[in-house]
Amino acid sequence: MPAPSDRSQVGAPIPRLDAWGKVTGATRFLPDDPRPDAWLGAAVRSPLPHARLVSVAKTAAFPAAAVLLTAPDLPCANLVAMVREDLPLLAADEVRFATQPVALVAAPDRATLKAALAAVTVELEELPAVLDLDAALRGEGPVWGADNVVAEYRIDRGDPDAAFASAATVVEGTYVTGYQEHMYLEPQGVVATPRPDGGVEILGSLQCPYYIHNAMKRALGLDGDRVVVRQSPTGGAFGGKEDYPSILALQAAVLALRCGHPVAMIYERREDVACTTKRHPSRTRYRSAFDAEGRLLAVDVDLVLDAGAFTTLSPVVLSRGVLHVAGPYRIPHARIRGRTVATHTPPNGAFRGFGVPQAAFACERQMDRAARRLGLDPAELRRRNLVRDGDTFVFGQTLRPGMAAADLVLARVLERSGYAQRRREARAFNARGGALRRGVGVTLCLHGGGFTGDGEDRIKGRASVRLDPDGAVTLLVSSVEMGQGAATVLPQIAAEALGVPVARVRFHQPDTSAVPDSGPTVASRTTMVVGRILVDACRQLADKARAFAGDKCADPLAAAAHAGLSATAVYEPDPDIAWDQANHHGDAYQGWSWAAAVAEVEVDVDTMEVRPVKLTHVVEIGRAVNPVLCVGQVEGGTLQGLAWGHLEEMKLKDGRYLNDRMSTYIIPTSLDAPDFDVELAELPSPRGPFGAKGLGELPMNAGAPALAAAIEDALDLEVFEAPVTPEILLRRWREVRR
Amino acid sequence: MKIAMWVNGVHRDLEVPPLKRLLDVLREDLGLIGAKEGCGEGECGACAVILDGRLVNSCLLPAYRAHGRVVRTIEGLGTPEHPDPVQSAFVAEGAVQCGYCIPGLVMASRALLDEEAAPSRPRIREALAGNLCRCTGYERVVRAVERAALSPARACGAEPSPNPAADLEASPGDEVVVHVPGSLRAACEALARGGVTVVGGATDLGVLMHEEIVAPRVVLDLSRVAELHGVRREGGALVIGAATPYADLLRDADVARDLPCLHAAVRSVGAPAIQSLGTLGGNLANGSPGADAVPPLLALGARLRLVSVAGEREVAADAFFTGYRATVRRDDELVAAIVVPLPAAGTRQSFRKAGTRRAQAIAKVNLAACARIEGGVLRGVRLAAGSVGPTVILLRRTMALLEGEPAADLDRLAEAAAAAASAEVAPIDDVRSTATYRRDVTGNLVKRFVASLCEMHTR
Ligand SMILES: Cc1cc2nc3c(=O)[nH]c(=O)nc-3n(C[C@H](O)[C@H](O)[C@H](O)COP(=O)(O)OP(=O)(O)OC[C@H]3O[C@@H](n4cnc5c(N)ncnc54)[C@H](O)[C@@H]3O)c2cc1C
Ligand code: FES
Ligand code: FES
Repeated sequence: MPAPSDRSQVGAPIPRLDAWGKVTGATRFLPDDPRPDAWLGAAVRSPLPHARLVSVAKTAAFPAAAVLLTAPDLPCANLVAMVREDLPLLAADEVRFATQPVALVAAPDRATLKAALAAVTVELEELPAVLDLDAALRGEGPVWGADNVVAEYRIDRGDPDAAFASAATVVEGTYVTGYQEHMYLEPQGVVATPRPDGGVEILGSLQCPYYIHNAMKRALGLDGDRVVVRQSPTGGAFGGKEDYPSILALQAAVLALRCGHPVAMIYERREDVACTTKRHPSRTRYRSAFDAEGRLLAVDVDLVLDAGAFTTLSPVVLSRGVLHVAGPYRIPHARIRGRTVATHTPPNGAFRGFGVPQAAFACERQMDRAARRLGLDPAELRRRNLVRDGDTFVFGQTLRPGMAAADLVLARVLERSGYAQRRREARAFNARGGALRRGVGVTLCLHGGGFTGDGEDRIKGRASVRLDPDGAVTLLVSSVEMGQGAATVLPQIAAEALGVPVARVRFHQPDTSAVPDSGPTVASRTTMVVGRILVDACRQLADKARAFAGDKCADPLAAAAHAGLSATAVYEPDPDIAWDQANHHGDAYQGWSWAAAVAEVEVDVDTMEVRPVKLTHVVEIGRAVNPVLCVGQVEGGTLQGLAWGHLEEMKLKDGRYLNDRMSTYIIPTSLDAPDFDVELAELPSPRGPFGAKGLGELPMNAGAPALAAAIEDALDLEVFEAPVTPEILLRRWREVRR
Repeated sequence: MKIAMWVNGVHRDLEVPPLKRLLDVLREDLGLIGAKEGCGEGECGACAVILDGRLVNSCLLPAYRAHGRVVRTIEGLGTPEHPDPVQSAFVAEGAVQCGYCIPGLVMASRALLDEEAAPSRPRIREALAGNLCRCTGYERVVRAVERAALSPARACGAEPSPNPAADLEASPGDEVVVHVPGSLRAACEALARGGVTVVGGATDLGVLMHEEIVAPRVVLDLSRVAELHGVRREGGALVIGAATPYADLLRDADVARDLPCLHAAVRSVGAPAIQSLGTLGGNLANGSPGADAVPPLLALGARLRLVSVAGEREVAADAFFTGYRATVRRDDELVAAIVVPLPAAGTRQSFRKAGTRRAQAIAKVNLAACARIEGGVLRGVRLAAGSVGPTVILLRRTMALLEGEPAADLDRLAEAAAAAASAEVAPIDDVRSTATYRRDVTGNLVKRFVASLCEMHTR
């Protein structure tokens, strides 16, 4: 890690700028401010996954003070704009998933709201529901469109059939992954306030102010100035507050416009888990062809994601999954097909990793399965096949010099973890028998930072900087702080670009009336993409200040403080990028980040409880703007991945989530977390600010496959699923031993 | 109801509904918003505060329980100018991300360091296990606590002392009547009047109230009944007051030495904030088949002392449960004490829990086991399992199969016992596990216990 000089802001492990507010309890999250004037809003939901909506009515007991809105009463278009506009705000005549809202209620206080909700009757006529992937793939229903296929992508390269025919070894496997609930500690919440001009303001715990802004403009038919979206300090998001807040904000907005009061909709945990989006469950059929030396000749992959009942973000999640499913490997021939299909279940959405964890799980499990079949060490098989500079991915992107770091992170993690030695020690330990078994697993992953292909060109993110009268510079971006560190890292980048200490940079709380649209806070794009736009804006501002103060001035920003200077920069596309969206071909991502992890586990064969003991993770992220924050991202993301791999199980019954509480949906405690050892490797990227690439999602990819590999190693059986629960392991252990 | 408490060193007089959650009192009545609601059911610890020196989840605690007590919240810990070492260490180590869990984690860390100046890594992890953080992966948090342990706690001036005897004063508008008697006699009399909800630590009741499954009208709180607290020796038995918080049991040397299986079970209940309040009386009376402290009581052959105005009776712990959440306790009776005969010399005890995770976990299966080898044969074999039927049960057939058997071939015996144990339980599939898993694991745990007896045998 380059030593930070005192002049250098980028690379300095400074404490996060919002830390003190958080450790002293001073930071005020949305639920922390009393709002005596606000009404409370709630949704009336369908208990059935598929039904004809016959009627929604008030009984005589409905309090006069409360208001009820059904689809016909909506003062706006009945839609929540996302990738498509198929999701209605309220079900109008057909209910397509359990918990789908059929009406909205607002009341001045909690007691009245409760009385009002109890006084709404919903008449439904139950219809047959399509609840599993196979039924959906057969086109039953259909739930969506003509055949349930919400989106499909293919990648074809070379002649896979010939490659399979000539292969020395063909390996096949099917891998399934389950739902994952974000379980951010702060549940979702928004407050909508009607404006005198007929517009509405939203304050909420959210990731993407302009997504909401857009959804509100579309549905309410308001011009942009009359919709204002502000972010409150956000207690975790992980993608869960990317899409869903658009729904919640619109619900609160229509209620606020109807009753004329601010309306707060702040979920309790149970409603949050029951109704908000989850990570898409997946099933991947994987075939790989190897030559006699264990080199990959071809893959044939069929990836299916369960979209739930509406489109939401599923096509985008699928696209990313398809582009990552062949992993960080050199593969001359490929046939990859990805589909996301609709079922009568709550729509799934964005979750850290965005399709890649599912893809990486399948790809990495398949590599381990292949290693067993080929009699090679899993690390060695990966080493033989990983991509290097100059190699071309199956979708046609050639890695330019300095872009590939798979070799680097793999070598580093093997050395740092003492992989070979630890595996030998585990063997010796297991040979002794007893209740405990130890295992060591390795995994290799990558993640494309920023939007896919020409996505950033289309978004054209903007960032502004403003010179304040006290000589400080305020950053105006729509990227939010949600725990990941944007409000510290972006100021560090700006300070570096301006040549001032971080103390002279302020981060403006995202607010669509004050900040330009820098794009959403997603896709690991904040540091790499928004950071770069910000650098351009800072350089412009510095130029303006110098022009104002004269070349000889030592501190032009201070000298120009009263000049009212500001600057705005727009995303500059890289002219060398070639991307064909129609064929899903070309330069998919400008910044690839790389990760290799070694997991060590201990399994109790009596109970099949798995304890991750140690996790070594080496990530290559271009440049670590703030190493401490980077390491924190890696540790937190990895634990989410580990837990998805064995603890976090969401069961459905009749299309409803059964594990809708913190006591039934299990996230890891401090005792379930391993000791972490993280190394940041840095190969500065020309595309990011001061060489930085994306990091937020990368660590999510490695946890589950590394864990599965370690479990396999410990128990000498095969793992095909995430989560691999003790129940599954015990069954398989019995089968293997029989 | 009028209550008075010390909050962050300031004396506060408040008028609040008696069952209002302490969390809401802090946030709404006192404007102390540092404690957060992450779940409302004791799982996440975002609402954790320190009550009379111990970590509690303020979402589970009814306001009246804070009367006469000393409460510390994050706001009273330190400021950026004068921080507590825990706060400085969290900042310095990068232990903070979104921050929503942080007030609770900081308080949990403080409570740990107040009790133990230099805890080990495993101890730190155990002490923080009831504070869920979704962002950090805990590594930096653990490091922060290690760092804070190196600096002395900030002197926070004279701490007020709690005044537990302070009388509660009802208000005309109260919808709930609260009795907090100081004696067993008074408690029984209050109970005899009927329609009363008994409160031990409220760790089960708090959840039921949050879910609106229970709405007490009259509350009888046992936290100040002297006779129901503490552990004492009576002849050849340890007598445990039914309302003794787990935290006290864990610090009791007799329990740790003589009843290691009970000690281990209590240590596995929830996490520290649950242990600060939860009681054996509540674990028993609640009647859950997954109650963790109950199997040891059955395995140790404990007797339960039930007391009412009509008198006192004792029932064997294994005769207490009559069905799913049903017990022989009459409505006018309290579980007053648990009488645990001291195990015969040489008795090996074990408690194992296969839970949904390693802390704050509901048992999928738990097993408490006792046995000794005497004259080359197994004696005093008692096996009790939870979450494998409508009640915690003794594995009687397996016990009979083992009792008196020669200890020569323990491995064979262990196999036979495992098969017998798997056969005699009647578990179900539910949201947490499957019947098959529960049956198999019961057998495995029995097998492991029996096989492990040889370690003792050879000694
Ligand atoms: C987050 C969380 C984690 C938990 N983890 C575990 C766990 O790991 N293992 C486990 O076993 N339990 C667990 N529990 C459940 C609970 O903590 C225990 O059952 C605890 O022992 C209950 O004791 P209490 O005093 O708090 O009971 P209370 O909630 O006060 O009472 C429970 C019931 O018992 C009655 N009662 C209480 N005391 C008496 C008495 N002396 N005489 C007669 N009736 C009485 C009450 O009226 C009520 O019906 C957990 C709970 C929570 C919220
Ligand atoms: S709010 Fe989660 S434990 Fe209290
Ligand atoms: S810092 Fe976000 S939950 Fe802990």
